Parts: sequence; structure tokens; C-alpha cells
Amino acid sequence: MNEEKRPGGLTALAVINFIFSGWGLIGLLGLAAFFAFVGKIPTDDMQEAQKAQMEAFQNMGLPVFIFIFALSLVSSVLLLLAGIGYLKQKKFLGRTIGNIYAVVNIISSVVSGILFAPALGGGFNIGNIIGLIYPVLTLILLNTTFKEDLTN
Amino acid sequence: MNLKKINIAHVRLISLYWSRYTVRSGSGLVYLMIALVFGLSVAHIIIMPVERLMALQKKQMGQENPQLIRKTIVDIGQPIIQFVLRIKSFEQVTKEAASLQPRLPNDTSNTSQSGNNTSGFDPWTNFLIEKKPALLSVIFLILIFGMPFVISFLAFNQISGDVQNHGLRYLLLRTERCNIFFGRFIGTALFSTAVIAMIVATITFYLGMKTRLYPAPDLAIWAVQGFLALAILMVPYIAVCSLISASVNSPFLSLVLAKVVIAGVLLMAILGGFAWKPAKYILYALPWGWQNNLLHPATVHWLGAVFASFAYTAFFLTLGYIRFETRDL
Repeated sequence: MNEEKRPGGLTALAVINFIFSGWGLIGLLGLAAFFAFVGKIPTDDMQEAQKAQMEAFQNMGLPVFIFIFALSLVSSVLLLLAGIGYLKQKKFLGRTIGNIYAVVNIISSVVSGILFAPALGGGFNIGNIIGLIYPVLTLILLNTTFKEDLTN
Repeated sequence: MNLKKINIAHVRLISLYWSRYTVRSGSGLVYLMIALVFGLSVAHIIIMPVERLMALQKKQMGQENPQLIRKTIVDIGQPIIQFVLRIKSFEQVTKEAASLQPRLPNDTSNTSQSGNNTSGFDPWTNFLIEKKPALLSVIFLILIFGMPFVISFLAFNQISGDVQNHGLRYLLLRTERCNIFFGRFIGTALFSTAVIAMIVATITFYLGMKTRLYPAPDLAIWAVQGFLALAILMVPYIAVCSLISASVNSPFLSLVLAKVVIAGVLLMAILGGFAWKPAKYILYALPWGWQNNLLHPATVHWLGAVFASFAYTAFFLTLGYIRFETRDL
């Protein structure tokens, strides 16, 4: 309808969504491969920090792995859908799905911080704050700056 | 120059609108993302090893000893800061680093030695790593070096995009060129300052709450000083982007030129300096040569750097304004 009037910021947001979605999906493959072989990696010659990290992975357990995998998959798919929604300026596909992605990601960051061992980046650290930048920005921008642009 | 037509109300309106519009237009959004990720990643890279050291110390000694951690930070940070401030050459720094014995965080035998070493620092290094929170100083030095590369993502499209799509013609029915030029410059500077405030506040809050290595008032005071240094430093670089943006019609070309000019001056000075010593003075074509002085302990130095920032800004803005005032839109 009014695709010609799409602000540059919304296009930028869509492009960032596609990039992060692609990274997420590639990361999932890596995560699955890593988890499949993590038990077979010898830790004897590793440094203390690496050893702690590897042991934390080995002790993570299947349910936690499935939880992380599912959450990452859902986030990546939501990012992709929301990106398409931004480009088409759709209310549901853009604004609603974008908001759902942001909320899911914020919750998953908090839950990961609680569930993960400190060696795996768990707890309150600056890396987790970096991970929150994009979902928080998405939440703010979709409900203020681009609120009136996602109406189709 | 037709500065008599400057209308403060128009400049204020344009700057406030521009600082909000910049996110909508995309450049502000991209800058916001890159600046936040860059700033916090720098902090993460600097703080993470210290946190690991604290965890290791707690494991080995059963308790944390912030004083010992601070000493270790000073030992490691001292050669790096001296190299960054160009007090020592790279060769000197690597020689000193090689002569340092690796030590555990609970190895108290070396602390007296490191205490003696620190008393021999030059005043600038001593100020940054002994008198002020060293972690924050290192982060500020890296941000002062890195943020000029990032700022062009925000400031490249102040004028050129509207020249390309002839949108400025409609705006010129209601206001003068000088109001548009200076209004957009101020709006960009306001946005940049707000983003820097966010980065510095997040890092300081994290350092204060999580590591608890430094007293909160010390952290807060140094954070304000570092924020002011970064905010002031961005202004001449934004002015350079204003000049470039007012001179070309294409936003993409404006971005490329801004990147080439900002990085090129630094690169030419470094590479040119190898072949012909005086080429290193090319650094002073932009604030590269003196920008670290914004964190200098001597008032004359930091005040001089602040004045130099405003002088460079005035120079580039004047050139940009002359070009914008006389060009065909």
C-alpha cells in the first residue's frame, strides 16, 4: 500500500533482522555439531579456563541443550518473519511478531543467565548486556518511532 | 556567508527534529547499533579477564583482594597506556612485557616490586592508572581511538541525501540554508552525545555494581570526565562529515569519503612517517594528533584539547557552510 513511504530505518531494521536470523541459523548447526562431539573432546591438555568451559558444556545435560536449541530456533524464525513484515510494513507480521521476538529474546537472555554456568557466560555479565541491545532497541522502536509505519 | 539570517528558534527546531529523525532515516539506527555494540564489546574485552582473575583469586585464596587485582591491572595496563600515549615505542613496550614474569594473583612477593615500579611512571600514565580507575581509563582510551571511525555512520547524511532527492527545496521555502546546516549539525551532535552517555553510563554502572574494584564516587567522577572528553571529541569529526555531506550529492559517496578521510589521515600519517618523518604531522589535519590530551591531568593540556576541538569544528563547519550556501540545490 504505502511501501514507497517506508522509512530508511525500517529497511535497516529488516536487514539487521535478516543478518541476525542467518547468523542464528548457522549458529544452531554449529551448536548441534558441538553438542554431538562435546563428550569426545579430551580436556587434559587444556588450560584451566578452557577446561572449566568444556566441563560446563559436558555437564549441561540434554534438556537444557534442547531448551537453548528451541529458543534459538524460535528467535531466528521470528527475526526472519518480522524482517519480512518490516519490509511489507505489516501490522501483524512486522509489529506483533517483532514485539514477540523482542520479548522472547529478553526472557531467554535472562533465563540463560540463570541456567548457564559462569564459564559459559551465565550470570550477570557485560556480554549478556550486549545480547540485550537489539531486542530492547526493537521493542522501543516498534512501539515509538515506527509505530505508525506498520499498519498494513 | 549569510550568518545574519540565523534564526535560533529555527535552528533549535531543526536540530531537535533532526536528532529524532535520524533514527527513522536509518543512519541513526545503524550508528546506535554499531556504537553500542562497539563500546560495550570494548568494555567486555577489558573487563572479562579481570573478572576471571577475580574468580581465580577467590578460588585460590578463598576471598577477593581488590587491592591486589588493582595492582595487577596497573602492571598490565602500564606498558599499553604508555604505548597508546606515545610515551614509549612498541619495541620498548614488548621488551618490558617480555621481562615481566608471569605471576599468580595471590603472589604477594611481586606486589612490592610493582608498587615501586608504579612510582616511576610519567605523570600522565600515573594519573590514568593510579589516580583514576584504570579499567575505565583503558576503556576510554580505546573509545577515543575507535569512536571517530564509527561517527561517520551517523553524520554522513546530514545534507547529501536531501540534495540528491531535491527535498531541501521544499524546506528552503520556510527557512534559510544556514538554519538547516547548523540545525542538522547540532542535531547530529546531540544524538551522538546521547549515545555516548548511554555507553559510558552502562559501563560505569556495570563496573560499579559487578566488579566493585573502585569506590563509586571515583568511578562516577571519572565517568563524567570521560563522557565529556568523548562527546567533545566527536564534534570536530561530525563537522568534517558536515563538510563532506554538503559537498557531494550522493549519501553513499559521502559515507565512503568520510570513512576514507577519517581513517586515511591516520593511515597516511603512520605509513608516511616510515618513509619520511615529517609526514607524521599529517595527523594534525584531524584531531588524531592531540585527542588523547582530552584525558590529560594538566589543565593546560585538556583545556587546550577542548579549545582545539572547537577550533577544528569552527574551521570545518565554516568550509562546509560556505560550500552549502553557494551550491546549487
